[in-house]
Amino acid sequence: MGVGSALDPSPTANFVGVKRGTEKRTSRPQGSPLVFFILKGNLMVNTSTSLQGKPELRRDVSVWGSYMWGFADVGADTFVALGLVMAYAQGATSLVFALAGIVYILIGLAYTELASAYPVAGGGPYFCLRGLGDFWGFVAGSALLLDYTIDIALFATASAGYLNFFMPFVLGRSIESFATNIGPFHSVNPMWGVETLILIGILIWLNVRGIRESSFLNEVIGVIVILTESALVIMGFLFAWKPELLALQWKTQFPSLNHFMYGSSLAIISFVGLESISQAAQETRRPATIIPRTSLTLIFTVFIFAVAFSTLGLGILPWQDFAKNVDNPVAVLAHALPFIGFAAGPFAAGLGALILFISANTGVMGASRLTYSLSQFKIISSWFDKVHPQYRTPVRTILVFSMIGVIETILSFLTPSAMHTLGNMYAFGATLGYTMVFIALIKLRFTDPYSPRPYKVPVNMSFKYRGRKVGLPVIGIVGLLGVATILFEVVWTHSIGRIAGPAWIIFCFIYYAWYRRRQRLPLFRSVKHDWEKEQINVLTSAEEFDLLEQYKLALAERDKKKVELR
Amino acid sequence: MESKGKKMEPQVTFLGAALAVLFTISMGGLLWWMLHPPRQIQPAVAKARYAVGAFKRILVPTSGVPYSEKGIELACRLGTEQEAEIVLTYVLEIPRTLPLNAPIPEAEAQADEALKRGKEIVELHHLVPILKLERAREAGEGIVKVAKDNQVDVIVLGIRPNWRGTQNIWGKTTDTLLRKAPCEVVIDKLPE
Repeated sequence: MGVGSALDPSPTANFVGVKRGTEKRTSRPQGSPLVFFILKGNLMVNTSTSLQGKPELRRDVSVWGSYMWGFADVGADTFVALGLVMAYAQGATSLVFALAGIVYILIGLAYTELASAYPVAGGGPYFCLRGLGDFWGFVAGSALLLDYTIDIALFATASAGYLNFFMPFVLGRSIESFATNIGPFHSVNPMWGVETLILIGILIWLNVRGIRESSFLNEVIGVIVILTESALVIMGFLFAWKPELLALQWKTQFPSLNHFMYGSSLAIISFVGLESISQAAQETRRPATIIPRTSLTLIFTVFIFAVAFSTLGLGILPWQDFAKNVDNPVAVLAHALPFIGFAAGPFAAGLGALILFISANTGVMGASRLTYSLSQFKIISSWFDKVHPQYRTPVRTILVFSMIGVIETILSFLTPSAMHTLGNMYAFGATLGYTMVFIALIKLRFTDPYSPRPYKVPVNMSFKYRGRKVGLPVIGIVGLLGVATILFEVVWTHSIGRIAGPAWIIFCFIYYAWYRRRQRLPLFRSVKHDWEKEQINVLTSAEEFDLLEQYKLALAERDKKKVELR
Repeated sequence: MESKGKKMEPQVTFLGAALAVLFTISMGGLLWWMLHPPRQIQPAVAKARYAVGAFKRILVPTSGVPYSEKGIELACRLGTEQEAEIVLTYVLEIPRTLPLNAPIPEAEAQADEALKRGKEIVELHHLVPILKLERAREAGEGIVKVAKDNQVDVIVLGIRPNWRGTQNIWGKTTDTLLRKAPCEVVIDKLPE
């Protein structure tokens, strides 16, 4: 995940009143310690009033802004995944990225349909809640919360990893030289661990104080990332790529089945962050029209980048070079290019550190938004939403989930490779969440055929269901099988993920059961929701008048049929 | 970090250049497509669009003459997208000198023939035809009754193209419909 959600107003945007809603959200840096953050005493809030009088996020994100939101989120993943996947998929890395990419495209298509049909923040858990009920919404929510906490740990670790590219030039020794044995723990790198904890500390401080990023600067950073990655790919293919080296590695360095499965399950993390599509939908004007375009473009550009980088990497350097430098693989690739390598390496390293640091912030913000959304639907307590009296930030959420990120960081640094351990866990949460989203997609086609779908996952089998024509998404079923296979691979091959992942879900379930019992709410059944009213409000506020009329017409038709049947 | 110190010699290959071009075209194409979304539809325009989409049951009076059958074709095209039901009616005008249920075999056969032809037109569009033979003193009154009984959303009426009257271009049936119809009325008149 990444910069994407950095385009958000502060995580408190949902928590504050309407009065500040008229302020403009884009701002300029003013003497901030970090150039892309803006210190503001009072949070700028991007809210408007919904039809029900509740404050809601204003829709003023443009087409480009919406795309950059997603790209900066998912696009940062390549900086992390390239080295991790190369270490296992070896000569078959391109194939592994392509296979995982196909599953990712299917997931992306499902998200595109759902996010354009239900353009509200909440993402996967919201779709599951709506399609499958409260309990499954909770399961998807807890999987995603796990990912947000790991997001904090993994991307802060990766950001520190890219900073370590400069260590030989600054301290005269590489980061690997700091590795040591501490008691029963081998190859522990305390230096890298401390760097990571400092970065997370800065994130906590920034978020508790309510410091907000400039959306304009985020867009600029996103453009720089796209241009840099494109330049690397084009220069690399034009002047450095050796097809014979790629073929040689494919023939002689093909991984074992176990490594292939492990690599493909890790490759999925280079595509994690599709939640940003639905997050962006909440704030994009005319989301039903814009979101399908921005998200399809996002899906395919990220896929092209992932496959291009892996193909390029294997045609320029042996896979072992990336596996050895799992902390900064893109910088290693850039450094190896002719003509520009001397500058591209450090530039890519600096850019990687920056974008990954912002990506780590996504975890803090995402957890905050998600807990708010879950508490709205009585999945978790509203205790988490408590706002700091002075800074007006959701301080409890920030502290609780950041501290979980800290614990995960410390534990992962006690293992031989912190990056692998965190990637391991990350894949579990993501694949579980995606599996649930596919099921929700299929179920919603039957239970809510009335909501207009400006984009539909292609290839559908049409038939009549309760007197109405519905389309069974064949690609949705293929995607479900694909992502379930990756989930199986994760559980099969990831020794840490298969224990810690389910343990987290069980831990969350204990909390959920305690909370629902205490509130006298059903555990496995759902609380009654007025989805139709909500859908009308959402389409009205989104200014999707065409869809609104379509929706009203579908409901009127349904009601007329009901009357006739009586 | 061995690779960081390695010097790369430039090497241009045909395949590499082709991939670079393919990459540029696909990325450029995707971004161009994304940045050109369709225009926004205003609320009034959306209402107008879906007002037509709301025609789920369309009534077409027929008399078996070409202009009324063109009305059936028009109704089918109006209803194709939303798979509307097409209610075809032939109103037998019974003279006041006879009771309403008096048998008029010749006129009834003519009505059946007209409805049968109308049904064929509707079925060509894969829509559901509903046939109604109505008896009334005046055609207009009969059509209004069928419209009310069947809760139709719109009446499509094909009218005579070569009207030679001097006072009222509509004729009595059309006039009654325009005054008393419980729903929208679409009139289709061919040029003379």
